[in-house]
Amino acid sequence: MGEHITCQEVVELVTEYLDRALPSDEATLFEQHINFCDGCIVYVEQMRSTVAAVGHVREEDVPPEAKERLMAAFREWRRT
Amino acid sequence: MIAYKFLRADGSSVFTGFGWPLPAGGPGAWVEAPADPCRSGIHACRVADLPYWAGRALYEIELDGELVEQPTKLIGTRGRLVRRIASWDEQRDAYTRMCADRAHELVAAAPPELSHWDAVVEPSIVEGPALLGFVAARIAEEIAASPAAYHAERERQAAWLAERLGLPA
Amino acid sequence: MAHPRLETPPAADEAELLARLRDGDERAFEALVDRHYNTMLAVARGYVKSRAVAEEVVQEAWVGVLKGLDRFEGRSSLRTWIIRIVANIAQTRGAREARSVPLSSLAPEGDEAAVDPDRFRGRDDAFPGHWQQYPSDWEALPEQALLGRETLALVIEVVAGLPAAQQQVITLRDISGFTAEEVCAALGISGGNQRVLLHRARSRVRSALEEHLDG
Repeated sequence: MGEHITCQEVVELVTEYLDRALPSDEATLFEQHINFCDGCIVYVEQMRSTVAAVGHVREEDVPPEAKERLMAAFREWRRT
Repeated sequence: MIAYKFLRADGSSVFTGFGWPLPAGGPGAWVEAPADPCRSGIHACRVADLPYWAGRALYEIELDGELVEQPTKLIGTRGRLVRRIASWDEQRDAYTRMCADRAHELVAAAPPELSHWDAVVEPSIVEGPALLGFVAARIAEEIAASPAAYHAERERQAAWLAERLGLPA
Repeated sequence: MAHPRLETPPAADEAELLARLRDGDERAFEALVDRHYNTMLAVARGYVKSRAVAEEVVQEAWVGVLKGLDRFEGRSSLRTWIIRIVANIAQTRGAREARSVPLSSLAPEGDEAAVDPDRFRGRDDAFPGHWQQYPSDWEALPEQALLGRETLALVIEVVAGLPAAQQQVITLRDISGFTAEEVCAALGISGGNQRVLLHRARSRVRSALEEHLDG
């Protein structure tokens, strides 16, 4: 990995970094880089915002027919 | 052990946003870090590490408990901020300027194929000391085609800081 | 810039729901269905051709859950176990549909750059690999820009359009809050695989958001 990493490398490492899965020395280089690179700080923040936006997806209600079939299956199972 | 730590202007950690108890008429409260020093822990700098982590506000930090030494940082399990190093606030711009001047100097003495490396220097000033420190060290490395030159430039930067900030060298 | 804790651990009531379920409590079953149905559907969609087939698979999976309740030992979280069941059934079904290899078990294909390489300085430039121009700061936008209806609709659309395996992983991780370990256990993929898929999925969503927000 060397003494420093580039922005191009940072954007490929960001997922690992946010998962705290980067090996220690890579994490150090990552942090040293974002410490001086305004562009990459913004990018990491964009990625955090992206994850937050995805997290806001509210799942639809279970379709009523599907739910009915499932409850019927449950009652059938419970009977036996 | 006494070490150093850069924080944001509001006293929060640069990478985690953790709000450090700041010194006020005496050291700040002790902070305990989670048990795994390599994954988490309190990060701090020896004097030699300062250029790699240049930030907004500089503090002296007392580390206690388990200590892990890594190439460019210390990791502790217990620490408290002792005092703000006000001289950093005064010297920050001068340090940035010093790194910029070094970058120009290095490029000027380098083969002409590298002259285009000079163009980023002045526009980078507004982004501050961390970037300029990197720019100068990176240029040094490019000219020498050697990672050792990158670290040597960092050592120069650390020596400058030690002297100007009155830190043990 | 705190590390967001976006994983939501398996709900504390899993043990209670399981006990009630084993007791034949219909409301416990309904609660679990409400909680996991969509995730199961998303996972099934990763293996089979149509939504209709995926729905059938999910039905089958719930029956499998009920029939397997006695066997569940609690070594994984309940939700991991449920997803594993639907994944297995969907994989089998997908194989029968003549998709010869379950999608998620393939190593992520080829290379997929998170950001267009043109956005970075080239090899002959000074500071190769660094941004030519910084990406824009979304913090400066009003909160609604990122969390408003239009953006949400875009996110849903992009996620729905992802390659199947990427969609599965980002759904499990970032919509349903599963941990990385749970996803690996549920889908039978390695940690490395999981992370590459998540990385690519998130990068595509970010890219789409950037296009939308930068106008």
